[in-house]
Amino acid sequence: MNELLRLWHLFRPYRTWMLGGFVLALVTLLANVTLMAVSGWFITAMAMAGAAGVAMNYFTPAALIRGSAIARTAGRYFERLISHEATLRQLAGLRVWFYRHLEPLAPARLQQYHSADLLSRIRADVDALDHFYTRVLVPMLVAIVAGIGFFVFTALFDLGIALLLLAMLLLAGVGLPLLTRRLGKKPGRRLVEAESELRRLAVDGTQGLSELLVYGAADAHARRLDDASRGLIEQQQAMSRIEGLSLAGVMLCAQLALFGVLWIGVPLVQSDVLPPQQLAMLALFSLAAFEAVAPLPLAFQHIERTLTAARRLFAVVDAKPEVTDPPTPSPVPAHNGLELRGLVFAYPGAERPALDGLDLDLPEGGRVAIVGTTGSGKTTLFNLLLRFWAPVAGDIRLGGEPLSAFRGEDLRRHMTLVSQHTHLFDASIRENLLIAAPDAPQAKLEQACRTAQIHDFIAALPDGYETWAGETGVRLSGGQARRIAIARALLRDAPILLLDEPTEGLDAATERALMDALKVLMAGRTVLMITHRAATLADMDRILVLRQGRIVEQGTHRELLAAEHYPRLLGLDAV
Amino acid sequence: MTARDLLQAQRPLAARWLKLTVGLGLLGGVLIITQAWLLALIIDAVAFADAGLAEVQPWLWPLLIVFALRAAAVWAAEQTGFRAAAEVKATLRERVFRHIQALGPAWLSGQRSGSLAEDLTRGIDGLTEYYARYLPAMTLTVLIPLAILLVVFPLDWLSGLVMLFTAPLIPLFMILIGQGVEAVNQRQWKQLARMGAHFLDVIQGLTTLKLFNASRREAEVIARISDDYRHSTMQVLRLAFLSSAVLEFFATLGIAIVAVFIGFRLYQLQLPLPDLLSPPDISFFAGFFVLLLAPEFYLPLRSLGTHYHGRMEAVSSAERLVTILDTPLPDQPDASGPRAGPAATPGASANDIGVGEVRFDDVHFSYEEGRPALAGVSFRIGAGERVALVGPSGAGKTTVANLLLGFAQPTAGRISVDDRTLSDLNIAAWRGRLAWVPQNPRLFAGTIADNIRLGAPDADMHAVREAARLAFADDFIEALPAAYDTEIGERGAGLSGGQIQRIALARAFLRDARLVILDEATASLDPASETAVQQAVDRLAAGRSMLVIAHRLNTVRDADRILVIDQGRIVEQGDHAQLCAQDGPYRRMVRLLEAAA
Repeated sequence: MNELLRLWHLFRPYRTWMLGGFVLALVTLLANVTLMAVSGWFITAMAMAGAAGVAMNYFTPAALIRGSAIARTAGRYFERLISHEATLRQLAGLRVWFYRHLEPLAPARLQQYHSADLLSRIRADVDALDHFYTRVLVPMLVAIVAGIGFFVFTALFDLGIALLLLAMLLLAGVGLPLLTRRLGKKPGRRLVEAESELRRLAVDGTQGLSELLVYGAADAHARRLDDASRGLIEQQQAMSRIEGLSLAGVMLCAQLALFGVLWIGVPLVQSDVLPPQQLAMLALFSLAAFEAVAPLPLAFQHIERTLTAARRLFAVVDAKPEVTDPPTPSPVPAHNGLELRGLVFAYPGAERPALDGLDLDLPEGGRVAIVGTTGSGKTTLFNLLLRFWAPVAGDIRLGGEPLSAFRGEDLRRHMTLVSQHTHLFDASIRENLLIAAPDAPQAKLEQACRTAQIHDFIAALPDGYETWAGETGVRLSGGQARRIAIARALLRDAPILLLDEPTEGLDAATERALMDALKVLMAGRTVLMITHRAATLADMDRILVLRQGRIVEQGTHRELLAAEHYPRLLGLDAV
Repeated sequence: MTARDLLQAQRPLAARWLKLTVGLGLLGGVLIITQAWLLALIIDAVAFADAGLAEVQPWLWPLLIVFALRAAAVWAAEQTGFRAAAEVKATLRERVFRHIQALGPAWLSGQRSGSLAEDLTRGIDGLTEYYARYLPAMTLTVLIPLAILLVVFPLDWLSGLVMLFTAPLIPLFMILIGQGVEAVNQRQWKQLARMGAHFLDVIQGLTTLKLFNASRREAEVIARISDDYRHSTMQVLRLAFLSSAVLEFFATLGIAIVAVFIGFRLYQLQLPLPDLLSPPDISFFAGFFVLLLAPEFYLPLRSLGTHYHGRMEAVSSAERLVTILDTPLPDQPDASGPRAGPAATPGASANDIGVGEVRFDDVHFSYEEGRPALAGVSFRIGAGERVALVGPSGAGKTTVANLLLGFAQPTAGRISVDDRTLSDLNIAAWRGRLAWVPQNPRLFAGTIADNIRLGAPDADMHAVREAARLAFADDFIEALPAAYDTEIGERGAGLSGGQIQRIALARAFLRDARLVILDEATASLDPASETAVQQAVDRLAAGRSMLVIAHRLNTVRDADRILVIDQGRIVEQGDHAQLCAQDGPYRRMVRLLEAAA
């Protein structure tokens, strides 16, 4: 329930819109109920007056009928407009809200969300929150207010009928959803399992298609997928049986209410306690009243979905950033050299530290390489330098100032990273470059791309720099993406350059071309590079061999060729 | 084929269940009329015949039965509707997956596999509403009002006329909704999806944004994009909702007019009507009966909007499926799809493909017009030979392997096996003679043993163990808690790259392969693992022909022949010593790699 309160708080800016939507939804509902009830009363009263030959005021009810027809139409129209307006405003607000909370967490606290699956779930969660208002809040409030109103109104005529109607409304609006929820628990779980089984087979069957074909297992896999598909459909059918139950149940409740009204009402009419036109009115009224509770079974389902989504999102939002910015302004470093002393770092829950007492001096303009197997702590070191994480012990200084004195953004003004994974955004190549320098003119972008040796390629594309890159855009090879990363780094123009295996996975010729581009980038900058490419390492001032978070060997390339670990890490021992 | 064509084309599959669903809906309609009739009888008797409970009981009890039947019909229609969709979904899912298989890895490499899996799962499920609700509702929207009119007209033609005159709006609004609004709706729907994709993209690239201090700026971009979307959507909706408001207006107004006209006549008041239409007299019973039917007359129309959403979802799902199904199958011997078993295609059976010599004679290939991947490649792999393929990325190494694996057919030239053209051989039998170890072998959901016997599902545990032993995988597998029965996590989670490689090699050992195609792993394995993999590869090569797509110098050195490929042509070939003796690309490459050593 705590989540509900927080949600309510989150929706504060949209309360006026929501209130408007609620009022209009209520008006729409009441207009329809009025239309039906007054019509029933009117016809019966007119017939009785006609038969008895007595005068009656027929203008008021006739006007009421016409009025509620118009109110219903207008109410529906504006209710839909307002609720969509509110929903869309809220969606914008929610996304920005979530993004603002997520931003300080990246990347340290988001490591656990790295799989694309989890990220897309976050997106679905935000959407689920957005539907909270239209699918949960409004229907429930309308049902509650209208339900009370209906009870009071019918009680004016007969308490027994009022109680009966209330009981049936409660049964349909609360009892049935609770029942179906209970019934759906187990099938729901099985449904989720069947869904993930099918998804797994679909992913396996597409990503592993080559192997399946070569090993003659494609047909068997297609049969397995078909089985899983039919299995899933069976589970969905089981759920649909339960959902059909609530659909039929609401209707049955409405009809039983009508039956009850007759059962109680007919003797009342006979004993002249209730005029016949009022019985006709109550009969039609009770049928129409159930429009108020019809959306509730769905609303109950959504409550659960929304609360789960909210819990997950709040958990992300509530996470404390790994590194917080100091309140004081960042110092101005005296130079662009780095000093690392006794650096210790362990990832939460890890068995052994990723860095275990690391010392490193990188003078301004110096070039140091780090070599080591995966898991030796190389990338961790970069994360600490960028202040994405904070060390457990030890000290990092930039130009003599402790790193913790810098605000993250100020610190990263001094550093650029080129890594083997370049995220290209779903935007034009130009926009992807502008991330590094939002105000750079086209000429500057082109110059950076020339230096990174990617300009000719981009210029040859039909749309040039406006070519769409990223997920839905043109597919760039690893080398091309890496060059765009280098162009970004050039545009960024930061004095310290961090290179994380910039040529990994590229063949010799591409690597050489990329190295030429990197050399331009490295000129005049302080460089720290992770690599195990011999050709690159020969150019470095000093090389550190990292093993289990410690430096085990260091020296120049030539010196280290005689060492124990270094040649093996480079794959040179077999040559 | 358009998305709508695809949806239409699947209707025969659902036809039987759809008919039943419509039938149940119609039964519901008849029951509604019966219910109204009974209710009118009761109220009439109570109001005008002074009837008590006892007198109306002959109608009360049938009313209860009608209620029960209506509830049952609603529930059953849900089930039959679901079944209608289920038939389509199961059939289409299999068809799309088989089509993906038949399109093969060459096509797949250009797709995002994540989105294909999405299409196969949620995409297909997105069709449910269309068949389960939308299609039956479309038919019932015509049938139920028609049935009600049939009952109302004989009783009171004036009310019938009121309904009939408000009802032509049915086709009118179908067209209105069906055209202008639909196009706009689809566009907004897509824009919404794109906006969601942008949000996801930004979250995924958050680290990159942060590196460039661009992450805070992005919050404003998200706000701006969402706000733009809101403005454009609301502009559209103001109009779109208007059409359904008009529909709602006529529906409620229709009820109101029916009620007022009946009431006035019952009170013997003059109706504001032209003399031409002298209104018929009406009894209270008939009037009340008609009034009860009036909302039911308009109800199917009014609820059409809700079902329309289901249709929109189905169309956008179907669009994705159509792009897959419309991709023509590559022209290859097993174009009938992987369904074709060995007996289905003519050609040599597995036993008589010997694989003595494989030849490429002037082979050309291009993935798309004007961009040749191979431009006249000729070479041979003799029996038992070990041939290495080296060259820059994009030079055509993978294409050579793809052609050899039968994933694609040469656009010109000939690939032959012991002088028989590869495309004439039974592709399944040919693949049966191959062992293939790709760069990043894929492990499938299931146990390690299942993964090893991927190509030979009937192999016993003894054979599996032996294959694992040969691949130097037995030791680490036995060390796992459940040994060979260990369930493999997503993408082999928990296993190292070297271990996955060795499981893939064990797969190769388990089949009677004559030619091994190996794409060396580029990812750095730890030294111990690398040695084990190398030993396993050497063992696998013994007595077999082998084509290695090489990324490492030390594996190339031992090859019988090295093919240097660049821009789709073989520019040099010979063994290591020969190639080092001449001043060609190979020597330059070796120099580069050995620069410092």
